[in-house]
Amino acid sequence: MDQKEILENLSMAIIEGDEDKAKEYANEVLQNKIDPLKAVEQGLSKGMVTLGERFEKGEVFLPDFLIAADAFNVAIELLKPAMEAQKKQVVKAGTVLIGTVNGDVHGIGKNIVAIVLEANGFGVVDIGVDNPSLKFIEEAQKVKADVIGLSSLMTTTMPAQKEVIDILKEMDFRKKYFVIVGGGPVTKEWADKIGADGYAGSAFQAVEVIKKLLSQKKMAD
Amino acid sequence: MINFLDVYERAIKGPIMSEKDFDMKVFIPRLKNVVKAYGIQYDKETPVPSDDKAADNLYKAAVDFLSQVGVYCQNTNRIIQFTQKEILEAVREAPGKCFVGEGKEAGVFGMRKPDERKVPWLHVGSGIVTTSEEMATNKIEGYASIAELNSISIPALDSIRGIPVLAGSPAEIYAAIRGVKVGREALKRAGRPGLPIMNLISTAAAAVTTIAASAPQFGLRPTDGWLCGAISEMKIDFGTMNKVAYLLNWGANIGAETSPILGGYCGGAAGTAVVSTAYILMGLLVQKGNYQLSFPIHFKYGCCTTRDVLWTVSASCQAASRNIPMPVIWLGYIAGGPNTKMYFYEATAYLLCAVASGAPSVQTPHPAKAVKVDGFTPMECIFGVDMAKAASQVNRQQANELVMRLLEKYESQIETAPSGSRYQDCYDVVSGKPGEDYAQLYDEVREELARMGIPLT
Repeated sequence: MDQKEILENLSMAIIEGDEDKAKEYANEVLQNKIDPLKAVEQGLSKGMVTLGERFEKGEVFLPDFLIAADAFNVAIELLKPAMEAQKKQVVKAGTVLIGTVNGDVHGIGKNIVAIVLEANGFGVVDIGVDNPSLKFIEEAQKVKADVIGLSSLMTTTMPAQKEVIDILKEMDFRKKYFVIVGGGPVTKEWADKIGADGYAGSAFQAVEVIKKLLSQKKMAD
Repeated sequence: MINFLDVYERAIKGPIMSEKDFDMKVFIPRLKNVVKAYGIQYDKETPVPSDDKAADNLYKAAVDFLSQVGVYCQNTNRIIQFTQKEILEAVREAPGKCFVGEGKEAGVFGMRKPDERKVPWLHVGSGIVTTSEEMATNKIEGYASIAELNSISIPALDSIRGIPVLAGSPAEIYAAIRGVKVGREALKRAGRPGLPIMNLISTAAAAVTTIAASAPQFGLRPTDGWLCGAISEMKIDFGTMNKVAYLLNWGANIGAETSPILGGYCGGAAGTAVVSTAYILMGLLVQKGNYQLSFPIHFKYGCCTTRDVLWTVSASCQAASRNIPMPVIWLGYIAGGPNTKMYFYEATAYLLCAVASGAPSVQTPHPAKAVKVDGFTPMECIFGVDMAKAASQVNRQQANELVMRLLEKYESQIETAPSGSRYQDCYDVVSGKPGEDYAQLYDEVREELARMGIPLT
């Protein structure tokens, strides 16, 4: 098996969510002394991105994505020591702190966004559901987040998205983080009204919006 | 049947596990296995199937699934488990009817079977947020002017004295109490004070809000309908369980509210149909529902009118109405908004699908995915009632043919569906009458649908 074939198989193992095969080809990467970072980028991440495209088209569903994410993590764990030995690490595209806002216990949409962001190279810190507004800010400080993602599935919890932005302003932290909002009842108009930096109607829109925001920031820096 | 304290005891003594493990190691693999073992298959050419054996097989799959998976309690991180024997016992003992309303509006909400020509229980209105008390009053009076309706949902207020309503906050309690007072007052003005309000309290994130607004001086009664929602998928929390505990002690009608998500943890249509049916069993066992409000929904599009969701609704509605004596209100979320042709095409497809499949009740399909503030008018209510009556004269096979033709009209536009007009933009807010444009559009669409062979009278 040559390098190209091993990386393709690794990618396919992720698409199929096959943990055993992901382990097998990650070991092949190590035995054949293939650059582990290359294996992550051209094998594992490529597989997740392909799966993401199929998910967006409605060809696969959330369970396929979650199972693939598990296979992805198993392979990463195997490759990690080799990357550390070579003093290499996957460069994260940015860190996103994500959670469902105060009073809202619905987490599925937020979970999908978190997985898709991870698959696209972002560091993701998921703080779960029903979070007090201040917690978003405290946690964002702790993990040095670039972006705060606020999810809401109910019209009555949408004001909590505004509350987080208002508190950021009050604490003089507004410029420190990009804030994007999403969830069933949330619209672009709402995002604009409350002063969010971005709105994402789907997990893939979230990736695009965050990439755009971070690249603008880089240019400004 | 096991009682609610037994359920609570299981919530504090059942097997412990993290929520992620429940999703990944219990829910997803066991659902996959059940779908495979029972050979549940989605057929995109038949959004309204007519196979009784397949419906009964789906019911058996749902019983098996619930017994294998249980219901996860988010507060205790434990699984509330039921044996197949307990599930079947709950089904056997379910009354299959619910007594609602007062005085001349009192009624019995009961069952229907697929292809049955009985008009379903007509549930009208929505909990869609509205911006002022005046508009809420006008809308409710508009809904209540429909003579045939059996029960009603009232809108929610988005603020109180200009203060936005935050979930679980004192403002939520103020808005809920104000909202129900406005609702009952509007029904009195319409001459129908006894009509049961069946979406209480649709916006209450906290149990304390429901309990506070239920005090009799605010105008609500145990003969109204009180919603207790499950959390997708197959989860519950103490917030909902607290509402159940209170409502059972009060003797009020409990509406078990459930919304399986197609494309989420359920996977595709086959898995979602199993979960949708299992939720009705859960409604009997966990929420102790007297009726159910069910709305399977598409994860990506946020509506119920994609082909695969229509199949899910039809299949699970048939499985339930043939086997589970639980009166279910089937509610459709529509992508198109008020004052658009798309709304009427989608609403027609949904109502034909649900009613022909044996829906005991259908609610006015909610325009613009129910997220547009003031995006709901009495016109959709009038249409919903007329179409539900027409759909009751259509069998499953005929419904399938009509739904296929309607899908041709709207399916490709679901992603970019027009959100339509707000109430104040297409209605005269003083007289409560539709504007000329909307009235004309309504007549045109109605004629077009009648020409398709839908028996609108």
